[in-house]
Amino acid sequence: MSLFVQSLVLGILLGGLYALLAAGLTLYFGVMRVVMIAHSAFLILAAYLAWWFTDQTGLDPLLSLLVTVPLFFGMGVFMQRALISRLRPATLTMMSVLLTFSIALVIEGTLGFVFSGTQRRIRLDYGGANFEIAGANVAVVKLIAFGLAVVSLAALFLLMKKTQFGQALRATIQHPEAARLIGINTERVAGYGFGLGLATAAIGGTALALDSTFYPSLHWHWIGPLMAIIVVGGLGSIPGAAIAAMVLGMGQALLQIPLGTTWAQTFFYIALFATLMVRPQGFFGGRLAQRF
Amino acid sequence: MSTPDQQPTPQPVTDSRSRGSMVLKAVALVVLAAAVLSFPSMAANPFILSVGVVIMSYAVLATSWNFVGGFTGYISLGHAAYSGLGAYATGLLIIHTDVNPWIGMLLAGLLVAAMAVPIGIASLRVRGASFVIVSIALVLILLLVFQSWGSFTGGSNGLRVPRPFGPEVLRPEQHERFFYLHAALLAVALLVWWLIDRSRFGMGLKAIREDEDKAQALGVPTFTYKLIAFVVSAFFTALGGGMYALWFGFLDPIFQFSILVGSYMVLMSLLGGIRSLFGPFLGAVIVGYAVEYFKNQYGDSQFHLVAMGILLGLVVLFMPDGIIPAATSLVDRFRPQRTSIREVSAADLAEQRRTSDPVAARADQQSRTDDGTDVPDATAGTGTGAATDTDSPTVTEGARR
Repeated sequence: MSLFVQSLVLGILLGGLYALLAAGLTLYFGVMRVVMIAHSAFLILAAYLAWWFTDQTGLDPLLSLLVTVPLFFGMGVFMQRALISRLRPATLTMMSVLLTFSIALVIEGTLGFVFSGTQRRIRLDYGGANFEIAGANVAVVKLIAFGLAVVSLAALFLLMKKTQFGQALRATIQHPEAARLIGINTERVAGYGFGLGLATAAIGGTALALDSTFYPSLHWHWIGPLMAIIVVGGLGSIPGAAIAAMVLGMGQALLQIPLGTTWAQTFFYIALFATLMVRPQGFFGGRLAQRF
Repeated sequence: MSTPDQQPTPQPVTDSRSRGSMVLKAVALVVLAAAVLSFPSMAANPFILSVGVVIMSYAVLATSWNFVGGFTGYISLGHAAYSGLGAYATGLLIIHTDVNPWIGMLLAGLLVAAMAVPIGIASLRVRGASFVIVSIALVLILLLVFQSWGSFTGGSNGLRVPRPFGPEVLRPEQHERFFYLHAALLAVALLVWWLIDRSRFGMGLKAIREDEDKAQALGVPTFTYKLIAFVVSAFFTALGGGMYALWFGFLDPIFQFSILVGSYMVLMSLLGGIRSLFGPFLGAVIVGYAVEYFKNQYGDSQFHLVAMGILLGLVVLFMPDGIIPAATSLVDRFRPQRTSIREVSAADLAEQRRTSDPVAARADQQSRTDDGTDVPDATAGTGTGAATDTDSPTVTEGARR
């Protein structure tokens, strides 16, 4: 029973983190119809930057967010403006996959080149600390990662709902032509939306770095589950992605008891194929999602 | 939609032009075949020869990939799933059933083709981005399964595949034989691609590539066509993987089910040109050579990833149509009156008709005033035009613009 509660708690914590990571992917897709394969590569990049920051200064890795979040935002705007907007509209979706794939390769190769392929880990004073809730052990680092996810998702939500920029972004997602008609500079909004997505990667990567070992080619392990989440949730739907992330994260954590860690990962892919068979557009996606 | 009077105009153009270009093509084909066949005797040492085998293997995979990518425009980043499955199925069949290696390879190909049917049914239901995601997921799931299921697949320790030739065949000779075997497989794949390219089935597939909804509206059974192309592609990819397994003799899930291998296939095909028969082959020669060169020069460092990434990015940004179409259009620019009908504007065409055939011109005038506009006719032409003219890639290429 306590094993079950333990998995449940782990699943919630994991699901929150997944939701944060998948939110970025949904933003890119919603705003630009871009499938960003490099998202998880940027996660690993952020993790490395956090590690490097702590290694050099001895300060808490969370402080690196002050640098990485604006940096990643800038990189996102630059990527959208300089690279992705150059693609032909007719083949944008397909070609963006290949383009971001090539960016992922460059990041992975550069990380391997600079930091070598050895596994890295951040040493923290509170790294081993944990406490008990209802018979379940909760590691402090996992809780911090979850907290980061909750805070940034809430901030994202408020930004999207309450600010004028958020309104413009949502308008662009819903209907780009109409948004242009009422005077929204959709190109600029798209750039900022892309930057916003990448900023979530900075936070997510740092949260990941708190309690796991990482190495340059780790991003391949992440891209599959994240893509599965956004397809199950419905491409382009942020609430869909959040719910799918929670459900799949919990499912994975619960399946780890009978199946073991490796086989539990297949759950994501089974969910992905099952979704395509039953509802190709995902559970929260509009009918259009099927076409991209 | 295409009025009958459009028919006579392109016909004489293609006729006079095709005789010349056919001779040219035949000569080029003979030269190419001679170059490929003479490579083993020209190779300086067994290492170069083995690089040649690797490049041929890449060429087989890229050409097989192009059955889906080139015809339907569905970009699969996960074709390594089929080459890996083909390789493992070949190895496991030989080990467990004692079957003749070549029959084992063929059986493996058929097996993978059968497996591709349900996979295709699931993944072809979605387009574009979702399709790519599914293709990536397939490779990742297979990597997971083949690594974890150690008792059957050898897991991370790898799988040793028995050699098809006896111990009396030395390594260099083995390389040479496999070079020719790969070349033969490549020739078969190219032939099938060419046959499909000229068939009604191929027209349907290309119509799907240009505009799937319109193709469906015109009565193309899009799903069946896509599925057949997908299964054929998986079959040849699996044969390529099986052939590689027999040559290399050792399989490791990390290398067999690698997204990198799948992306190489895409890069090669895009670089050469997915709309042309020999595009993937040309891309395989360039990329295969580059991969081997970078691996050889920079060894264990991750530099080859950066180089590949940059190359792929440049191709996607600046040359999405590939080298062969780019070169063809460059040559065409210096050949007056050999442009395809697509590159002639509607006004030019009307003028041409008026001077050559007054009756048709009148009919044309008629239909134009009847329709009111000329535009719908022109857009409809992209679908039917792509379907009527099977010969030159520039036609469909132009239709996209």
